Amino acid sequence: MVSEPISVIKVRNVLLVSMPADPDDSTVAALQDRTLDAMSKHDVRGLVLDLSKVEILDSYFARTVAETAQMVGLMGGETIIAGMRPSVAITATELGVTLGKTRTAMTVENALDLAGQAERKVKARR
Amino acid sequence: MNEGSQGEVKIQTEADIAVARRAVRDVASKIGFGVTEIARIVTAASELGRNVHKYAGSGVMRWNALSNGTSSGLELRFEDQGPGIADVNEALREGHTTGGGLGMGLPGAKRLMDEMEIASEVGKGTTVTVRKWRRR
Amino acid sequence: MSVEAQTIVRGQRDVVMGLTPDASMELLQILVDNIKEYAILTLDTRGYVTTWTPTAKRLKGYDADEVMGKHFSIFYPKEEVENGKCERELEMAAREGRLEDESWRVRKDGTRFWASVTLTALRDAKGNLKGFGKITRDLSEKKQAEERLRQQGRDIMEMATVPVVQVWEGILLVPLIGMLDSARTQQLMERLLQKLTETASPVALLDITGVPTIDTQTAQHLIETIKAVRYIGAEVVLTGVRPVIAQTLVHLGVDLSGATTRSSLAAGLRVAFSLMNMHVGASNGNA
Repeated sequence: MVSEPISVIKVRNVLLVSMPADPDDSTVAALQDRTLDAMSKHDVRGLVLDLSKVEILDSYFARTVAETAQMVGLMGGETIIAGMRPSVAITATELGVTLGKTRTAMTVENALDLAGQAERKVKARR
Repeated sequence: MNEGSQGEVKIQTEADIAVARRAVRDVASKIGFGVTEIARIVTAASELGRNVHKYAGSGVMRWNALSNGTSSGLELRFEDQGPGIADVNEALREGHTTGGGLGMGLPGAKRLMDEMEIASEVGKGTTVTVRKWRRR
Repeated sequence: MSVEAQTIVRGQRDVVMGLTPDASMELLQILVDNIKEYAILTLDTRGYVTTWTPTAKRLKGYDADEVMGKHFSIFYPKEEVENGKCERELEMAAREGRLEDESWRVRKDGTRFWASVTLTALRDAKGNLKGFGKITRDLSEKKQAEERLRQQGRDIMEMATVPVVQVWEGILLVPLIGMLDSARTQQLMERLLQKLTETASPVALLDITGVPTIDTQTAQHLIETIKAVRYIGAEVVLTGVRPVIAQTLVHLGVDLSGATTRSSLAAGLRVAFSLMNMHVGASNGNA
């Protein structure tokens, strides 16, 4: 099975990673590997994870996102999830997953603006 | 891909979980479920398919288009010859985790679908059946 | 034409419009072949197909040579066959003379269509059962039109039960009235999230002034809604939190996921405006 590629580019000091509509497990695993690889190579402030094409977010995908955000955090960056679809947001809530310490934005553009804003303390939330 | 009102997907590798998802999305779409309903059904299928792969190594997902005179629906059945579930009620309790932090398979799928039945025997295997009906 | 169809003609009127029996049969054949809406076929007493027509082929997808001699249960959905529907229908048609039914049928390619079916018992001059006539009409279009109407009705109902109002650019208001059960919460989440993304609004004011009491379930549903709104990149301000509601929430030990809450809608609006100023179209919170 050919899985669609993950797109990883550096934009305005952040890493922009875009996920395909229904990534299989190996593609999801690649999200983590490629993010960490790119972060070690480039000087970036954080990660914007573009989920606007994603149609399904199961527990494995969610856990991988949470872990990736945690690793990015340990390396001093923050993660912003952009463009989650209503159907995915609702299902994720009903499934009961957590996406870890991440912020969210409606669009990639908003996320990039948010990432570019002056560092402000993120209130600790469960 | 399967045409008609029933079909099956063998779950033998991790990649098959995605195959199962695609099959379920196709059928759910043909039956006429809405976008959010499809997301629920496919996610439930992913969780249950993942359980099969994780606990039993391999198994099969069978699907069935349903109609009860007033509504149409979809039934998914996940069968494996794995270790079985010792305490089904325990496994269904929200937040139950058995290693790996991915323990939301059963409670999650139950939440996302309308009906769920579990038949399991330790040492023999497990069959999880879920159904969803289109909202009238 | 088959024996059974000949019997229909002889049994009722020996000739049609003064035509000879042969001409009558030809006329009947022409009618049967050409009524495009109705698929006409005949079965023997046990339900095996004995005649097939072009319309039957058009409706059900099978060629005559594929279907002659096969049991008519192939036209039914599997679960109905397993329930014994076919036997019951033949039985009833034989007993009552005629059976009418509206339900699902299956084409050769496996697709389903909603059909109106009339099954008629065919008897000879002595009254012996010789077989059955089956007339099937595809009601898909009618059903689709009905479904469209029903969906419109549902949309209107949904708007009435979960109204989402744009009160300012970027601020949507949901005045909730009544209790929040599972079904309504689903409606709420779907409608609210849809509108938020459509209008690219960063803030949703969820006003619960009209919600009489909060139990654990309702609180849980509110929390879910707040979480889902956050996932798509917007934020919820919960307003109308009256003293008795605040008390209940504390007693229940409910944690509203750190959402901002206010007792009045006006206060909530002020919060919404300040949120708009602080965040340029993005949300600040944990997903």
